[in-house]
Amino acid sequence: MTDGAGEAAENPPAARANAGRVSAGRVAASGLRQPIVAILLLIALFTAVSGKPLDGVLTLSVATLLSLEAARSRQPGAARDPGARATECPAASVSADQPRRGLRTVLARAAWLAAGGLYCAVVGSFSRYSWPATTSVVALGCLMIAIGWQGPLIRRPLPAGEPLRRAWWWAVVLVSGGLLELGSLLQQPHLTTDSYAHPTVSALTDPLLASHPGRSVVLGGWLLTGWFLAGR
Amino acid sequence: MSSRDLTIIGYLSVLAAGITLQIAGIRRPDRLPSLGRVLSHVMQSRTGRVGIIVAWAWVGLHFFAR
Repeated sequence: MTDGAGEAAENPPAARANAGRVSAGRVAASGLRQPIVAILLLIALFTAVSGKPLDGVLTLSVATLLSLEAARSRQPGAARDPGARATECPAASVSADQPRRGLRTVLARAAWLAAGGLYCAVVGSFSRYSWPATTSVVALGCLMIAIGWQGPLIRRPLPAGEPLRRAWWWAVVLVSGGLLELGSLLQQPHLTTDSYAHPTVSALTDPLLASHPGRSVVLGGWLLTGWFLAGR
Repeated sequence: MSSRDLTIIGYLSVLAAGITLQIAGIRRPDRLPSLGRVLSHVMQSRTGRVGIIVAWAWVGLHFFAR
């Protein structure tokens, strides 16, 4: 028996602590195997070089945490993705877990909608890139990431079978949009200077986001998308 | 037609393609998944779920925060 194994046998908490430690190389290798981590790293890179370091720091931080999580889950004896939902979700358990519809549900939804409307009205009144707008958006984004890290809020039956094999159509659309945006970004005179001939989506939405109502409407769309994602 | 017009048409085409796919996914769920079903599949794992939520948060930061 090696010294480490002997120590582990004599001191189980120490063994668990050692199992939680992973090398930087293993973290990097495990992270790069995850397509989403690679995409987040690309977003962090392009965002940082285009003059928005805060966005880059957020995506880089989460990509690093996900890489660390992936490396830990690959270690022998590690629990397999504790935040993941079961692959199969029987219909009976789904219906049992769904919140009971009733007055309380309606009131709760009305309260969430009112809070969302208030958020849009107040945060939309702040100038873009001001510290109150930055703080409000960063706080909500971090809160949602923390909630998402814990697990899904609602259990849903998972899609499977033939239709899912055609999901690549969605990948084609999303990648096409991303490449178009990247092409416009790279054709700007400078990464931080907009081009009239090759506008990015950000440049096209600047007039809309110049007014309080416009900002509130866009924030409303962003919140609704977040609500939609929270329910996945 | 200017480069600006072509770029904007490109964005609108991508948007139209997405809307078309979504409508097709809702009308014929046995043939094509809707965006919600694809996201549910991707968000099964913690990596997928957190990655998608970070992408959402990034959109908010990109337009409002610096």
